[in-house]
Amino acid sequence: MTRTDNPIARFLIYIALALFTLYNVLPFAWTIMSSIKLPKDANARIPRFVFRPTGENYSELWLNMTPEAFAPFGLALLLIFFILVVIALSAKRIPAPNSAVYLGCIFAGVAVALALPRVVNTAEFYDYLINSVIVTTGTLCVSLSIGALAGYGLARFRHVVSVYILVIALAFRSLPSLALVLPFYYLGQLSGLYDTHILLILCLVATNQPFTIWMLRSFFMEIPREIEEAAMIDGAGRLKSFISVIVPIMWPGIITTGLFTLLLAYNDFLLARILTQINWTLPVGIAQFTGGEDPGHVTLAAAASVSVTLPILVVIIFFQKYLIRGLASGAVKG
Amino acid sequence: MKKGTFSFFVGPSVFIMLALMTAPLLASIVLGLHYITFRNLDAPVWVGIQNYEEVLGDPEFWDSLEFTLLFIAIAVPARIVLGLLFALLLDQVTRFRGVFVAAALVPFVMTPVVGTLIFRDMFDRGGPYWYWMQQLFDYRLFMNSTTVPLLIIFHSIWTATPFAMIVLFAGLQTLPQESLEAARVDGATWLRQLWHVAIPHLRSLFVFIGLISIMDAYRVFDSVFVLTSQNPIYDSETIMYYNFQVALTFGRLGKANAMSVLTVLGIFVVLIPFLVITYREQTEED
Repeated sequence: MTRTDNPIARFLIYIALALFTLYNVLPFAWTIMSSIKLPKDANARIPRFVFRPTGENYSELWLNMTPEAFAPFGLALLLIFFILVVIALSAKRIPAPNSAVYLGCIFAGVAVALALPRVVNTAEFYDYLINSVIVTTGTLCVSLSIGALAGYGLARFRHVVSVYILVIALAFRSLPSLALVLPFYYLGQLSGLYDTHILLILCLVATNQPFTIWMLRSFFMEIPREIEEAAMIDGAGRLKSFISVIVPIMWPGIITTGLFTLLLAYNDFLLARILTQINWTLPVGIAQFTGGEDPGHVTLAAAASVSVTLPILVVIIFFQKYLIRGLASGAVKG
Repeated sequence: MKKGTFSFFVGPSVFIMLALMTAPLLASIVLGLHYITFRNLDAPVWVGIQNYEEVLGDPEFWDSLEFTLLFIAIAVPARIVLGLLFALLLDQVTRFRGVFVAAALVPFVMTPVVGTLIFRDMFDRGGPYWYWMQQLFDYRLFMNSTTVPLLIIFHSIWTATPFAMIVLFAGLQTLPQESLEAARVDGATWLRQLWHVAIPHLRSLFVFIGLISIMDAYRVFDSVFVLTSQNPIYDSETIMYYNFQVALTFGRLGKANAMSVLTVLGIFVVLIPFLVITYREQTEED
């Protein structure tokens, strides 16, 4: 649409957007402040914006040892992280396929993260983080791969059977999560998989699948049939033409759907709560900070809130361009 | 596409959904017809449609439905209007765009439990919003049956507006350039471009956001749970919260399941137009 050239109007637009930004981030900014306060500053009757920052809350949350004892390990971790980032950024100059370099870096990072509790005395919150990462990654991989196949099939098979599948999926999606509690709990007990990552991943995949196939289907509907028909005439089968022709041009759509799946899996509280006993994920772990009268409690809860939010925020902000591009290409036409 | 290939593509997804989700759905239907509490889990008593009669005869159910509908009637249009407003503003600027979008994502991606707690802290005694209201307007905020429902609605607008904004902003990037050009040549003002080109183009997106918002608003729970501190005096129970109470506070599992079935039916009624469109899309020959 036409952009205005009027300097006053442009100024006002920036002011409005700045205020909107402030309104969006202020609560989180306040929480970040609380997380580096001492309890006496956080519990003041008049909100304090100037105070002496402290790292105590974070060390209490993450470590079962003194920050001084952790310092050398922390430096080592920073160094490893830095080296991995440098290697990943210079992937083009290394005589190996780019993807192999990236995968190698991610693999090394994961190995370090998993080995950390053996070297350093980490608190339970670290285990929750590891559980969250495992469950979210697992859900994302399974959900996207089977969801992409199904979404493509539904977009291409014009038949009333597809409508049945989509409507049943919608019925599953609209079922209140409370109705899932008892059946899933019994399933866990009967299958002997209670408190395992696998069960949680399967249940999250099943509950997210309706949304995933609906969204991916709408993306695949946009792709003209001619594209994969050309590949099939060359002798490629459906599956091969799907993987080698359709998936590459569908990346924005798949990434967009993936981001929503990521959010749903990472933020899930209820399923993780009922399907685990000690292998908690972060949202379950943080629920223990939601009540209580201990004055140190507010700052610890704030540190936990920031710790839970930052990883997902970094991932989403990193992918925000794909998010907008994906939404623009897929969901618009209807 | 042949039927065999179709089954191969759809198979894994349908299998996992049917395997894990049929049981809860059927269980809701079957248990909804029984009298069952935590005490007689092993021996439910068949009562037919008595649970449904009880739910529909319960004034608390109608109260919660009323608040839920009020919530939908205010929160959903507010999200769409505010989302459109800020999407249009964002479309006017190029500098700092990434910053504005990233900031808008903050309330949206936050884990709901965390987001609600943070939001409550802002309005609690000693929180910045509480303090500024007192300083600037000499208004002392108390949690009561007027302010708590307002806070619940405000919270949902805070978390959901960014989603509407990003979807609509993405839509604005795909406006048909020829129509815009034609409108410009005809000397159409910005407002006329908005009304005649942009809004018709974004129509399906409004529907998309509306549907998602209605489905989520119909099932709003976390914010009610945290903001009311589970205290009934605030008079702001939503349907899901009522459902939760029936199940866990009163232990009436059969009645709660009847409510779940009613929820699914209620959502389907809202979605009928959308389903008709999908049916046409899927069965048309091309």
